[in-house]
Amino acid sequence: MSKTMEIEAPARPIGVYTRPKGNTGWRDWITTVDHKKIGILYGATAMIFFAIGGLEALLIRLQLATPNGTVLGADTYNRVFTMHGVTMVFLVIMPLAAAFANYLLPLQIGARDVAFPRLNALSFWVFLAGGLFLNMAWIVGDAPDGGWFAYAPNTGMIFSPGKGMDYYALGLQITGIASLVSAMNLIVTVLNMRAPGMTLFKMPVFTWMILVVQFLLLFAVPVITVALFLLMFDRNFGANFFNPEMGADPLLWQHLFWIFGHPEVYILILPSFGIISEVIPTFSRKPLFGYPFMVFSGIAIGFMGWGVWAHHMFVSGIGPISVAAFSVSTMFIAVPTGVKILNWLATMWGGKIRFNTPMLFATGVVSMFTIGGLSGVTHSLAPADTQQTDTYYIVAHFHYVIFGGSLLGIFAGFYFWWPKVFGHLLGEKLGKWNFWLMIIGFNMTFGPMHILGLQGMSRRIDSYSPGFGFEFWNMFASIGSFVIALGVLMFVINIITSARKARTAPPVGLDPWDARSLEWFTPNPTPAHNFDDDIQVSSLDEFWHRKYGEDENGRVVRVATAEEVCQDGSATDTHLPSPSYWPVILAAGLPFVAFGLIYTLWFCVLGGILIFMGIYGWIFEPVDDPDGPHGHHDDGDVHDEPSDEVSTETAEEAPVG
Amino acid sequence: MIPKSLRSFLRSGRFAALAIGGLAALTGCAADAPLDTLAPKGPISRSIDSLSDPVFLVAGVVFVIIFGATAVIWWKFRDDHSTDEFPEQVHGHFRAEIGWTIGPAVIMAVIAVFTLISHFDLNGQDRTDIVVSVDGERTSWDPEVVIVGQQWWWEFRYYFDGLEGVDLSDARHLPPADIVTANQLVIPTGSEIGLKILSRDVIHSYWIPALNGKRDAVPGRVAPWKIEAETPGVYFGQCTEFCGLSHARMQMQTIAVDPADFQTWIDEQIQPAVEATNAAAVRGQTVFEGQCARCHVVNGMNDGGGADLVANAAPNLTHLMSRTTFAGGIFNLYEPDGSLNRTQLEAWLRNAPAEKPAYAEGRRGMPAMGLSESQIDDVVAYLQTLGAAPDMDVIAATEVD
Repeated sequence: MSKTMEIEAPARPIGVYTRPKGNTGWRDWITTVDHKKIGILYGATAMIFFAIGGLEALLIRLQLATPNGTVLGADTYNRVFTMHGVTMVFLVIMPLAAAFANYLLPLQIGARDVAFPRLNALSFWVFLAGGLFLNMAWIVGDAPDGGWFAYAPNTGMIFSPGKGMDYYALGLQITGIASLVSAMNLIVTVLNMRAPGMTLFKMPVFTWMILVVQFLLLFAVPVITVALFLLMFDRNFGANFFNPEMGADPLLWQHLFWIFGHPEVYILILPSFGIISEVIPTFSRKPLFGYPFMVFSGIAIGFMGWGVWAHHMFVSGIGPISVAAFSVSTMFIAVPTGVKILNWLATMWGGKIRFNTPMLFATGVVSMFTIGGLSGVTHSLAPADTQQTDTYYIVAHFHYVIFGGSLLGIFAGFYFWWPKVFGHLLGEKLGKWNFWLMIIGFNMTFGPMHILGLQGMSRRIDSYSPGFGFEFWNMFASIGSFVIALGVLMFVINIITSARKARTAPPVGLDPWDARSLEWFTPNPTPAHNFDDDIQVSSLDEFWHRKYGEDENGRVVRVATAEEVCQDGSATDTHLPSPSYWPVILAAGLPFVAFGLIYTLWFCVLGGILIFMGIYGWIFEPVDDPDGPHGHHDDGDVHDEPSDEVSTETAEEAPVG
Repeated sequence: MIPKSLRSFLRSGRFAALAIGGLAALTGCAADAPLDTLAPKGPISRSIDSLSDPVFLVAGVVFVIIFGATAVIWWKFRDDHSTDEFPEQVHGHFRAEIGWTIGPAVIMAVIAVFTLISHFDLNGQDRTDIVVSVDGERTSWDPEVVIVGQQWWWEFRYYFDGLEGVDLSDARHLPPADIVTANQLVIPTGSEIGLKILSRDVIHSYWIPALNGKRDAVPGRVAPWKIEAETPGVYFGQCTEFCGLSHARMQMQTIAVDPADFQTWIDEQIQPAVEATNAAAVRGQTVFEGQCARCHVVNGMNDGGGADLVANAAPNLTHLMSRTTFAGGIFNLYEPDGSLNRTQLEAWLRNAPAEKPAYAEGRRGMPAMGLSESQIDDVVAYLQTLGAAPDMDVIAATEVD
């Protein structure tokens, strides 16, 4: 493709159509299309939202620490718990997964970048726009108050006349665009840009799980978009999709929301499953136990995740037959999840495990997610669920899944790949403090919620009276939440101190963990062009297999050092996609359109202009910087070791803008 | 201090339940946890409990296995750095993996069978008629009560001719009922009571944990449900579907009484309000008719009146004094000594939104009526004529904090 471009070299662009140059300074961060920088942007932004969502969590726990709490008041409390849920789901866990996916996925498949680098930048900026827009609701003093699943008709104009639910409906539509764009981009990347020889079943499990997640996003996000769109029409244009007075059935919202919402649960958890499937073998010094089972169980979860949504609605009156069907389907989704847990344990079993911080977090995921899974099984019994649902028991359950499963896995990933991204390790000592404080605080906070729920404490109540037996465990949980906060603080301190130390300490080396997959072929931190040369893949864990062989007794012996195996990152003149101004401009238009729908349509005009400029500029800027380097063998005709498998399954050219 | 819940848990021997989240405690006795889901007080809730108990046990066993294995891994397979040798490179074990795919599937299938039996049982009906006397006429009543949720209180409507032919399709305009009361549902013991759960605004959820699981009140729908109490007593409940501002302050009780006492209760409730006689109450009635009666119905005064509210209903006050709580079940109407909780009632009449968050200006919840202090005294005097005070033991048992 790039060849064609060269042949038909277009007229030299002028003015705004010149693509920005250089890769330093703030301007570079705004215009970058480098998947690694975008990954870092995703991660940093999500961690800021994590601080906001965490602050909201602490406020919730302060309010509930004592009976008849007066820290927040009912109205503020409702807004705080709504925004806590929305923030943690849409602005923290999802983008943190996107951070890892962006940074690592091209590296794990041996690619130069993602398939559509500018779209990748667009995803990030649109996500940021959506996140800022949602949190603008705090600044205008009218944050959403309908709960993160926003059941109709409580969110309609009659019952929620403020602007809060508009921010919810429009903000999530914006972040949904980010997820969809990113999903298509990453699917195309995985399917088309794998290194020569990397068949689908030689892909790392992390890449596999991210691929499954992107398909889930691709099909789930449109469903919530429909729901949000209908809500927007109800609220802003007087439609009656969810208005029972006009004959609407409020359960429509619930179905739409949970057809998205349940796959969403797997969207949140599978990236973490992928991360620890990389971490556990590395630190156990054994290959992943049952790779095909791990991949297929992930795919099975992806499929079965579509058939269980109504278990969120067991008490909403969908009828006994539907409840029975979804009760049974929910039970069986426990099976592939159980397979994963047992396979991780089997990977560790018989290993020689180094319990570094990433491994601590990974084992944390296995145990904490087990608890969340088991309480999930107790929910699947529809009759039992009539007692449990909408109590703190369910709050405990999903925090064990999302915090114990997703977030701890993401922390495992932070510690594991930090040297890959920043060129130095995070401190082990502070890392262990981070882990233990978090896991103890987590169990102190959410463990007692099982008890509170079974004692009948409803979720989403802003206060409780003494006399229901809720006092002790609520206070206990509130103390626990501050222990978690302390754990997170250790992480922040660790980031700062390890960066300081790294200035004087020797570099981390090529292979700090004795790792297994393709991303470790590059130096740390990863150079802008990723790989100097294509990597010919012949097995799963290619990197490890280049380092180790077997002697005649079948024992593992070292055959090469990391220095011998790794590329030195010295390639010059590599052809990289050029930066672009237009994604950020296009993204900036979206919140203005949303403001317009809430306040005055004039904002829509402004937003429309920005979007139009963004698209127009995007189309008319040159596909490449014509002055950019084309020296290196990027043109797809150089293959050191051509392979039969290569021809159809891989694409070797550099991605174009 | 060890809470009672923990001690009773340790005694109860439900150690397996420790599985779920490193629990330290599960059950509380009714005295200190009136909403306890693991202390069933009727056959329906007991059937749920006996379904979930063994599953807690299974979950507990799995928990012990997984955490046991993790502990072994933690101690035994830690790298002691004694050699540089790699452990045996096992790539998988097909038969083991098939085993732990099929094994759990079989366990789940067994659980599924019991779940389905229990589930269809829970959704079936097994009511028998109760003979009651209404206005002196004996009638065979198919015991079903209409429950209507609205922001932020519950209404209970009794139709002793049965619900056949009663149009429940519009919860805001329901046909007149024999008895309309609020926040405290009164049922006879020993009978399955059918419920038809409706909503006048947003989704609520009706839940009396000791008697059954919960069922949502969805506007535009009629949700069938049921409860049954074995022994006379007071069973607490809490709205469990987030319903807006005062969701936390939407509480309810079910008072189960002997069939004979239930008849007495009917006889009382079926009467219209008696005419006020003392001077303060008469003045209060005038104020009530001018202000309160725009929303609140008192049978015999403004029967069939609607309310100037989104939900088109406010609690029927004909027998207010026979109830022991008010304002969505969150305030005691009586002091522990049986006297009127005058302070709270007056505060409520003075400025209701200050006592319980509501959107009075959005016609959701009782507004501040702007009554003078003497008017408040008069209205209280009038309200005291509405219904007879219940027995002291009821006052004690229904007390809320």
